[in-house]
Amino acid sequence: MKPGAIDYIILAIYFVYVLGIGWLVKRRVKTGAEFLTSGHSIPVWVTSLAFIATNLGAQEVIGMVASGAKYGMLTCNFYWLGAIPGMIILGVFMMPFYYGSRARSAPEYLKLRFDEKTRGFNAITFAVMTIFSSGISMYALGLLFQLVLGWSFTNSVLLSAAIVLAYTYLGGLTSAIYNEVLQFFLIVLGFAPLSIMAVVKAGGWSGVTARTTAWMAKQPAFAQGPDVMTHTWKYMGHASSNMMGVEWFGMLFGLGWVLGCSYWCCNFLVVQRAMAANSMAASRLTPLIAAFPKMLMPMVVIAPGLAAIALHQMNIPGIMVPKGNSFNYNLVLTNLMAQFYPSGLLGVGLTALFASFMSGMAGNVTAFNTVFTYDIYQSYIKKNASDAHYFKVARITTVVGVFLSIGAAYWAAQSNNIMDFLQLVFGFVNAPLFATFLLGMFWKRTTGHGAFAGLLAGEVAATLTLGFSAAEGSGGWFGVVQTFPSAMAQNFWIAILSFTSCLVVTVLVSLMTTPKPVAELENLVYGYTNIPHEENVPWYKRPILLAVIVGIACILFNIWFW
Amino acid sequence: MDDLRVPIGSFFVILGVMLLIAFFVITTGPPLASPNVNLWCGIAMLLFGVIMLLLARRGKA
Repeated sequence: MKPGAIDYIILAIYFVYVLGIGWLVKRRVKTGAEFLTSGHSIPVWVTSLAFIATNLGAQEVIGMVASGAKYGMLTCNFYWLGAIPGMIILGVFMMPFYYGSRARSAPEYLKLRFDEKTRGFNAITFAVMTIFSSGISMYALGLLFQLVLGWSFTNSVLLSAAIVLAYTYLGGLTSAIYNEVLQFFLIVLGFAPLSIMAVVKAGGWSGVTARTTAWMAKQPAFAQGPDVMTHTWKYMGHASSNMMGVEWFGMLFGLGWVLGCSYWCCNFLVVQRAMAANSMAASRLTPLIAAFPKMLMPMVVIAPGLAAIALHQMNIPGIMVPKGNSFNYNLVLTNLMAQFYPSGLLGVGLTALFASFMSGMAGNVTAFNTVFTYDIYQSYIKKNASDAHYFKVARITTVVGVFLSIGAAYWAAQSNNIMDFLQLVFGFVNAPLFATFLLGMFWKRTTGHGAFAGLLAGEVAATLTLGFSAAEGSGGWFGVVQTFPSAMAQNFWIAILSFTSCLVVTVLVSLMTTPKPVAELENLVYGYTNIPHEENVPWYKRPILLAVIVGIACILFNIWFW
Repeated sequence: MDDLRVPIGSFFVILGVMLLIAFFVITTGPPLASPNVNLWCGIAMLLFGVIMLLLARRGKA
């Protein structure tokens, strides 16, 4: 693909805009609290779009198109099962405690609800994890641009990191969130034409269905159910009848309940966006409003992958390029762009790729900032300093965080299997958290010792499961007791066992230790928190009603493409 | 900055204009590109930008 002058001009205009937004926001941000938490000042439509944009990193966009080509509509489970239910639970059940407790971060909620050690454990693991995930997405972007455009890895990594650093340094969380909204629209408007053109070229939805079915009929393992690519649930009965190698229970419990809810309800990266909203009601509406565009995202990011297989079946070259015995799925998105986008639109598409990368990275940087400044620096290094002092620390942390991410990107470039390994590490850290927050918010008997022991037990269970099981070459360091059909199945089962161990140990240890006095549970636990009444609020601003509408729409999507 | 809709609206207006320029200037494209795609996308982005700007104006009044 050869971008022309006009494409570079479009990219340059985008860079001017993101920096300009950062510069304009800077004048509004005068305190450390505003820099790190936006001072609860952002309108709900902005927080909602930022809420999904921060998850729409480059790896997500490239990965979803790749999964669309590899697994077809099965990938939609990551949206309609792995995201929407978690977003509903956050908006309806969990946000009142996050927002009502006035905690400035998710680890700080753990401190208020439980104790210092639970907060410290969560803050440190979270901080390490964010650095690695922004480093890895930087690595993925640099690698892609090197491969597709022939740009130097170092230049594209440094350029994009410098821009993210500049606008988060200037305007902190507000600047990141405002830019995420611009980035969200750019991602959708930049990739939607690709999706439409690819699907139309493949003969519309019926053409895609017919051609992917014809393609799968040629694969010996799926000849019995060749329409597997255009269904979400039909072939979930047994792990061997779908390409993911996952059966319905692992999918429902592992992805839908544990991983989906852990990510969308407990990962501070996304929760921070909802906490920045300007009222309790707005914070609850944030994930619920975000759920509508989220539900439709498969049309933009999964459909092109499916169309790519259909185009391959039509013998159109240059889209599905071979790699070993299979295809190089990570190149599907950029190959489609190279085939469909003329100069002009190509610039928009490349800019959208940069935008997705930046929204993901800025999310990591701002979350890292807040957690480091408040939960690590203020708790363990220097208590009771002035706001101006923490403001300075937060700005320095922004710079340090970006440099650490660049380091992580180069580290990822050095080693071979680091991506798979880290994927599992993220699973370790996240999976038990949902049990901890769930019990903390809804069972007043849960104690700090219980929560801490539960988290540890969850991590140990995850390590043991990985150590004693094997799948596609990962795990099995202590010997193989169980072999999973795919790394994804292994991942889901690690999550299930980790969550369950955390839940059981938290309950047992809580029952053996002294509970917190009821007076200290105010605004932290169900039953001791004022949840605003919604009788006088128009229907479209009622979280529960909105949640019901989202839930029904999501179920309908599941049935439509079952 | 008072209203995020202003920068977003103006950004997409500029992007739309750029695509319309590209439509007139650029005559060659990759094999699967439909000939008028820059035109249609340009119009769509221009419209989106204008709507954003109008919403921002209405919000101010």
